[in-house]
Amino acid sequence: MWNRNSIIGFSDNATVKLDFDDVSFKIVKYWAERTMKWFRLQGFMILKSSKNCYHVLFNRPVAWSENMRIVAWVALQSRNKGLKKWFLMQCIKQSSTLRVSKKRDKDSPRIVFKFGKQDKQIKTFIKNRHLIKECIKKM
Amino acid sequence: MVKSIAVYGTYQAKVPFKQRFWKRRKDGIRQRYWKTTKRTRRVESKGRYEFQGSGKELYQAVLKAQELMPKGFVSIPAKKFLKNPEKYGSTGTWIEKDVES
Repeated sequence: MWNRNSIIGFSDNATVKLDFDDVSFKIVKYWAERTMKWFRLQGFMILKSSKNCYHVLFNRPVAWSENMRIVAWVALQSRNKGLKKWFLMQCIKQSSTLRVSKKRDKDSPRIVFKFGKQDKQIKTFIKNRHLIKECIKKM
Repeated sequence: MVKSIAVYGTYQAKVPFKQRFWKRRKDGIRQRYWKTTKRTRRVESKGRYEFQGSGKELYQAVLKAQELMPKGFVSIPAKKFLKNPEKYGSTGTWIEKDVES
């Protein structure tokens, strides 16, 4: 039986991920588009994790050093406190994680916007997300 | 392709209790030493598992992770974890508390 207090997420090194807290969808979309164009990340997907909290994933696979370079650039430019904190946590862990399961009163993140190519890292993420959801259902 | 899943959160687990003892050496000096006793104490801590493997292995590992709390940061192939889960975790329960991803 799945204990709802434990959180299950997707974790890897090659996908550029961002976790925005306390920002509107419009701002998240602006930063996702700007980052995609600046670093040529081919495409992105936005997931809504809770009210004013969003996750962003990019399509192009990158090395860990480039991944953190991109996240640091967005954290610095956007001045989002939540993203800065999340970025530091990922640096410590040496892999970035985004939540897939429910978390206390929050529902599992849902896809709200897609743009550009979705054939590489985003495809992998969706497959893993599906696997995690299946695991939770079975439990 | 190898898939990876992270299971994380705050938990309460029973960990072995370490106690301080003293012994009198032959040269007369009183020396302090630590020993792990049979007693356990309940601690609250944060931990995380990172499993890599195929779908079936991951499912079984995630299921096992619901009962066994990680000993710190555990990044391990699911197959290896399933062979000897007690090595990487101790009995406890996940509790409701905020945690960073």
